[in-house]
Amino acid sequence: MTEHTGTKARSRAVRERAIKSIWLATALISAAAVVFILGYLIYTALPAFAEVGISGFLLNTDWNPTGSTPSYGIAALIIDTLLVTLGALIFAVPLGLAAAVYLSYLAPPKIRDTVKPIIELLAGIPSVVYGFFGMVVLCNFLRVALDIPSGFCWLAASVILGIMALPTIVSVSEDALFAVPKDYQEASLGLGATYWHTISRVLLPAAASGISAAVVLGMGRAIGETMAVMMVAGNAAIIPDPIWNVLSPVRTLTATLGIEMAEVATGSMHYYALFGVAVVLLLITLIVNLASAWVIKRMQTGQKTTPHISNKTKRYLKLAAVAAAAVIFFCFLTASLGILWAIGISAAVVAWYFGRKKISHKVAEKSSFVLIYACTAGVILILAVILWDIFSNGLPVISWEFLTESPKDLGRAGGIYPAIVGTLQLVAGAIIIALPVGIGAAIYLIEYARENFLTKALRTGNDLLNGTPSIVFGLFGFAFFVIYLNWGICMLAGQICLALMILPTIVRTTEEALKAVPNAQREASLGLGATKWQTIRKVVLPSAAPGILTGAILSVGRAAGETAPIMFTAVVFTKRFVSLNVFDPVMALPFHLFVLSTSVPGATAQQYGTAVVLIVIVMAIYLAAIALRRHYQNKLLR
Amino acid sequence: MRSFKSSHKSGLAALLAAAVLVLVVLTAGCVSTPAEDDVSGTISLAGSTTVLPVAQAVAEVYMNNHQSADIQISGGGSGVGVTAITAGTADIGMLSRDLKDSEKTGNDFKEYVIGRDGIAIIANPANTVSELTLSQVKDIYQGKITNWKEVGGADMLIVLVGRDSASGTREFFTEFVLNKEDAAKTMQELNSNGAVQKSVAQTPGAIGYVSLEYVDNTVKAFTIDGVKPSVATVIDGTYKINRPLLMITKGEATGLAKSYLDFILSSAGQKILSENGFVPIA
Repeated sequence: MTEHTGTKARSRAVRERAIKSIWLATALISAAAVVFILGYLIYTALPAFAEVGISGFLLNTDWNPTGSTPSYGIAALIIDTLLVTLGALIFAVPLGLAAAVYLSYLAPPKIRDTVKPIIELLAGIPSVVYGFFGMVVLCNFLRVALDIPSGFCWLAASVILGIMALPTIVSVSEDALFAVPKDYQEASLGLGATYWHTISRVLLPAAASGISAAVVLGMGRAIGETMAVMMVAGNAAIIPDPIWNVLSPVRTLTATLGIEMAEVATGSMHYYALFGVAVVLLLITLIVNLASAWVIKRMQTGQKTTPHISNKTKRYLKLAAVAAAAVIFFCFLTASLGILWAIGISAAVVAWYFGRKKISHKVAEKSSFVLIYACTAGVILILAVILWDIFSNGLPVISWEFLTESPKDLGRAGGIYPAIVGTLQLVAGAIIIALPVGIGAAIYLIEYARENFLTKALRTGNDLLNGTPSIVFGLFGFAFFVIYLNWGICMLAGQICLALMILPTIVRTTEEALKAVPNAQREASLGLGATKWQTIRKVVLPSAAPGILTGAILSVGRAAGETAPIMFTAVVFTKRFVSLNVFDPVMALPFHLFVLSTSVPGATAQQYGTAVVLIVIVMAIYLAAIALRRHYQNKLLR
Repeated sequence: MRSFKSSHKSGLAALLAAAVLVLVVLTAGCVSTPAEDDVSGTISLAGSTTVLPVAQAVAEVYMNNHQSADIQISGGGSGVGVTAITAGTADIGMLSRDLKDSEKTGNDFKEYVIGRDGIAIIANPANTVSELTLSQVKDIYQGKITNWKEVGGADMLIVLVGRDSASGTREFFTEFVLNKEDAAKTMQELNSNGAVQKSVAQTPGAIGYVSLEYVDNTVKAFTIDGVKPSVATVIDGTYKINRPLLMITKGEATGLAKSYLDFILSSAGQKILSENGFVPIA
């Protein structure tokens, strides 16, 4: 009897260990992928570094690879990338956070359940559509409204990138806010705090780690975006003069890769220099992620860790920082809106700052809520304008023939059936590869690993993979799968590239979902004699399912709309027959849209029609997943 | 707990069912009926997005005549065209520029000039200027002329729009119009003909350059040195701003690839070329 239970316990222990090592292996994949991709990029960029010298490459502001005397300095590109990303965050974070607060605390449940999926839908609009919307509507609007020669500028790029980052920021921070235990809210209100105080002083700080995850994800989207930014930024490789001139054309690192990689001669110095650009892009992502991780850690541990600076110096430093920020902000305002508006807005801010103590809590609360409502309305308005533009132009094109036939006359006639099937195949493959790996990695990181060097490296690897611009996956996939492994352009190469691209989102959101499961549940389960794996499978995962699904939904939406990773690896413009063979190339809706809009004159209607179908497909995927999520949530509440 | 578990299972079952359904839908489209024909099989083309549309248009007609031939065309750019042929991942490469010496060394490429492409200098239709000389275009792109009034137009700043530095179109433009000198640094760079056309169409002060086929009613093409750009003026040699379009294969083309190239170079193929705004050879 004892021997029997002994064997049973042993085999159980072996099984537990085996399961743990499986999750460790999945966690290692993302880190390994980063090391491999980075190594490959550096290896390919070496000739350029050797020729130009690292300092010349990084510090020279002159990027002119095909000039009479070629020069390969990327300083201007780096600065422009940072400026555009900064602008996008200034635009998107307040709007997104306000919308998230509205959805999780102020909106009636019915509105929340309708508005949240609609905002998530924004993520499904392919970047090439954002790009053309930006080009045709936004840049034109800016040009007329601000009376400038050209609307293609830093401001336009930041606004478009901000809009693209919004759904990620809203959705993920809403999840984080919603997951804050209700006790906090009740306790704060019970102590007599106003509702606004409770939100701003208790609930927002409590959700800080989730919100910062949302911001980092959104920033990853902004840094990594290629197609849209290169359509609206103007792409002149110059540093804005003066540096706060938001109306200057700028050119980001991704845009440089996106517009030059395709045509460059393989093996030329220009080609190697572009891989150098990709390396720098990855390093910037690494630095940004490490910095944000450091800031988040500081935020969570509070003031305890700052013993070296006296309070007085700190106050001076704070004052200086605020003053500097105010000056920079004023310059931005002056550059974009003119001196009168800048003075007006500054006066309003100053008046608010000195008058805020005199404002009663009630008025403060009211005005904050009004601001939040306005921001949410703004987000929805933006969405509505974009969707209206696409649907009003695209719906007339949709017909049964359009959906079921192969394209003819370069897509100007006939339909898009093979592209629909191809998109589904690519996305299905990507999610089949990425979901188990991503969930496994998150389970390992949250449930098994103690915080040590390994987990730190794994997290960094994952963050770096998240920041990796999608175009880099495309380049890597082309060089490695298509050329080195000699697969040729095929479905599998695209599926792996897309899987690598969405993996970090899945890991990150799964981690947040697992973190949100109260420890008491785990302890109770373990206390009842369940093994670790039983606890995870029966207790933790079901509770975390809605959060995990949100991550998967966002990923599917992103994968379906991406052009850059599949452009060189998986797609052809047209195909005659649909195939299930993963070593065959496929058609895909985003690439079809890209070619229609950039290389086929006179296909505007079909372009909008394709965009509508793409959005409807994404919507269908979202709705299915949202229904599933709601199903789980209802089960939990019961 | 019990009911929770079963519902969990039913959720999984629903997911599986959905997956199976998707697979069934995918396989449904897979059924094809290959007919017997003289030339059959699959070839792939990769490369220049300038050549892509016309290669596609020709392929469509070709495939209608040869029911079991499957010609798959992907873009990427001229560089990708060369790489794909070198690596053997495509059968025919498409280029909108000449092969570089660095690309020729060590490779046995066979080049086919399939047509020519005129480059039109375009502006917004609202622009009152409609004639320029080649040297004026050069001065404008080098930033020596910055206002339309200097060439007889309205008092309006000139917005330079060009192509990316790896573009075959830009390379040709730099060589032919700018005499290999650099364009002004403020030039906005876009990555496709379509993007340049759209940008110029909505910016009153803009000037840009695109393939002839992209000249439609949203933009207007300048008469350069007194010659209006068109297929006819490129053929008779009066409009000088034009360049060759290439297809390359590894060694001599065989089978379907040869048959397809023969078709492009035949009069039927060349007719499709000119219908798509390109300039046929000979």
